Amino acid sequence: MDAVWSGLALGAVYALVALGYHIVFVSSNAFNFAHAQLIMLGTFIVYWGSVTLKLPIGLVFLLAAAIVGGVAVLEERTAIRIVRGTEGQLVTTLGFATLLNGATQVIWGGSPLQVPFFGSSNVLVVLGGHVFPDDLILMGVAVVLTIGFVLVSRMTVLGIALLAVSEDREAALMRGINVRALGIGAFAVSGIVAGLLGPLIGPKTFAVATLGSDLALKGFVAMAIGGFGSAPGALIGGFAVGLIESEAGRYLGASYSNLMIFAVLLGVLLLRPTGLFGHARERMV
Amino acid sequence: MLSVARRIPTWLLPLIAAVIVIAFPYLGAQSPVQRQVILICSLALLVSGLNLSLGYAGELALGQAAIYACGAYMTGYLGSHGYTDIVLQLACAIAAALVIGLVTGIPGLRLGGWALAMVSFFLVLLVPDILQLFANQTGGAQGLTGIASPSLLGKTLTPNGFYVFATTVTALWLLVLRNLVTSRHGTAFRVLRENPVLASSVGISVFRMKLSAYAIGAVPAGIAGCIFANLDQYLSPDSFGFALAVSILAASVLGGSASIYGAVVGAVILTLGPLESTSFQQYSLVVYGLLLLVGGIVLSIGIAGVLQRVWARVQRRWLPPARSAPYEGDLLPRTAGTALSVDHLVKSFGGVNALQDVSLVAQPGQVTALIGPNGSGKTTLLNLICGYYRIDGGTISVGKEQTTHRPYRIARSGVARTFQTPSIPREITVAEAVRAGRYATQRAGFVPAVLRLPSYRRARASDVEEARRVLALVGLADQENEIAASMPLGTRRLLEVARCVIARPKVLLLDEPASGLDENEVERLAGLIRKISDSGGTVVLVEHNFRLVLSVADQIYVLARGQIIAEGPPSVIEVHPEVLTEYLGVRVPEADDLLRTPSEVADND
Repeated sequence: MDAVWSGLALGAVYALVALGYHIVFVSSNAFNFAHAQLIMLGTFIVYWGSVTLKLPIGLVFLLAAAIVGGVAVLEERTAIRIVRGTEGQLVTTLGFATLLNGATQVIWGGSPLQVPFFGSSNVLVVLGGHVFPDDLILMGVAVVLTIGFVLVSRMTVLGIALLAVSEDREAALMRGINVRALGIGAFAVSGIVAGLLGPLIGPKTFAVATLGSDLALKGFVAMAIGGFGSAPGALIGGFAVGLIESEAGRYLGASYSNLMIFAVLLGVLLLRPTGLFGHARERMV
Repeated sequence: MLSVARRIPTWLLPLIAAVIVIAFPYLGAQSPVQRQVILICSLALLVSGLNLSLGYAGELALGQAAIYACGAYMTGYLGSHGYTDIVLQLACAIAAALVIGLVTGIPGLRLGGWALAMVSFFLVLLVPDILQLFANQTGGAQGLTGIASPSLLGKTLTPNGFYVFATTVTALWLLVLRNLVTSRHGTAFRVLRENPVLASSVGISVFRMKLSAYAIGAVPAGIAGCIFANLDQYLSPDSFGFALAVSILAASVLGGSASIYGAVVGAVILTLGPLESTSFQQYSLVVYGLLLLVGGIVLSIGIAGVLQRVWARVQRRWLPPARSAPYEGDLLPRTAGTALSVDHLVKSFGGVNALQDVSLVAQPGQVTALIGPNGSGKTTLLNLICGYYRIDGGTISVGKEQTTHRPYRIARSGVARTFQTPSIPREITVAEAVRAGRYATQRAGFVPAVLRLPSYRRARASDVEEARRVLALVGLADQENEIAASMPLGTRRLLEVARCVIARPKVLLLDEPASGLDENEVERLAGLIRKISDSGGTVVLVEHNFRLVLSVADQIYVLARGQIIAEGPPSVIEVHPEVLTEYLGVRVPEADDLLRTPSEVADND
């Protein structure tokens, strides 16, 4: 049961990355390669705020949200707005991700930094397994955010506008939807959320410059398993990836966990390219 | 003077450059210089492989670094076990690279776009794990040592010999690449990159073509691995990480991903640039990131792309290519048209019944027109015929053969079409755009193109001849060397018709060919359509221009709300009361007036 809890906690982190991809994908039809790096940046800011500056936890949350949100908006302006076409945006968002990887490495160095958790670090026993309070909070946040996003997109005018933009950008523009504002808003929201998650994710993963690439891949696999364009799919995919990783690591050895995830990814793409919850759309001429 | 300049072949300059670089050791270059050149060669090989998928097929793949590692460790394993023959090592490295390319390309390409980018990126992150699993063979994290010096034909290669081998192999690969992308396959890659739907409409299998680009792109990575393993005779997992993957992409973007020599330009800059000095090392990721960001925004065509454009401008200004002589001969030999029959076709999108029980027949030697208001299902019908949508009920047959749902198969069976919005790849000439139409019907393989075998030369000559014929037919012979995408709309529409006609289609589908044309152009188009059908072709014309339809059609079908509401020759349709209310929105007497005035019903959907 210990392995299940740790797998689910890891999975919650991957699900949160996948959800970040999803929000941006739905609202600006772009794949933000750098979202995982934004989360990584969040963990560094939290380390800086709470260890270096010794700020109270409330301010650390605010600082992380403000800085990561700002960086996300900067990314939208430089890597998305002025670049046409998917390949171009893939290259520029990857460039932005590399830039963040490099910058964090230059500022904070290459070795992992321990980020303190603001709450209790006493191990709890739940359903016969040992689990940290932080892990439980992460899982809860992942579930709540997913439900929240689904509700917003189903129930509100904003959600319907998002749907319209992802279906047909130009038609949405004609209908008076401010597509640009939605695009930049999505980046800002995903950045702010990434920053707010920093104090929760940092204690689990440490702040380290290689975190971004790792999270990016696992988050992507989560999306692929769940189905592109489905928020609940991202959540379930994330938990699935976390479980595969921890179980493979437990039974086969640590060097097999990434290989197993890769094998599952290849399997999903070959057998069910639309994922568990995605659906294919017919091509248009 | 100018005519002399024009006769210098374009391959002369790269050839001279290659010979000089290969001869460096005999011109006094010492081993540090040689080492730098070999590193440039490896990086250029990696970048050129990426360029095939990114620049030509339009798919971002980051797996070059992993495939490179695979080639390098294959060579290293052979070298440390007594198999030092470099040709054998090269062959094994290429084979291993191809296997990895295919295995990772197939699942990634099923989704395309970022799925391929991520799958291939994942591959790079797996390299240390896989090396650790096979630590006995690869040395794991400690690295692989004890690789013996390479040999050629039983003799151990001297450092100079190895240098010459490495540079020669690189030059040969660039030659292979050049022959590939300047052939019809290169045009096919560009068509694919521009618009996959267009590619399948000329009979290119999108998946197979992308897979070819990706798999062929693995070959130079294998070669580079073989060279790298023999350079230091030591391999470590650190050489094949994320930084390498990003630097390959940065070199590609910087040099120009849609060019042959851009790979070399990018590799030279990244190898000799300030990045390699130790003081800059820690900033390397920051700089790569900025390069990608700026390169993606500003230099979408790269340095080589800029040079290419300048050269093209110089050529057009001072060295105009010789116009081919006017085409003499039969402009339109007899066309073997085949009947197209649609039986009880049903298609719905969600709850919308786009087509309900639609049946029609288009006979060879006739123009069959399909008219109807916007949203009546005309284009849906064409898309079903071409296989872009799945059929919900009923059948479509070309001759006696029922069609499949694979667009490229349908195109190969002889169905050609034009699009409402002409779809023309960038940066290719009018003649090349037209020749793309022959890609599937007159096949010629990759190998003959790379080796420039007689069969390739024959196919090429007939491509050129056929393009001259159809361009003369549609009246665009004068524009054959212009950039196709820069032509005005009317010309681009005629160009699309030419691209269809060159394939000698059994069935020709024209999707609103007259929209946006002026009166003269419409007249030319009408004449052309008549000529094609008179020569025996089967023409299906979807059109809003009622006048044009009445003047050229033999049989008219009227669609409204997904159903055929009337059919018959123009004389019947012209006065059919239901058609006039549905389609023109008027009662009979008003329709007479309408048909007499020049104002047309010229809207597009």
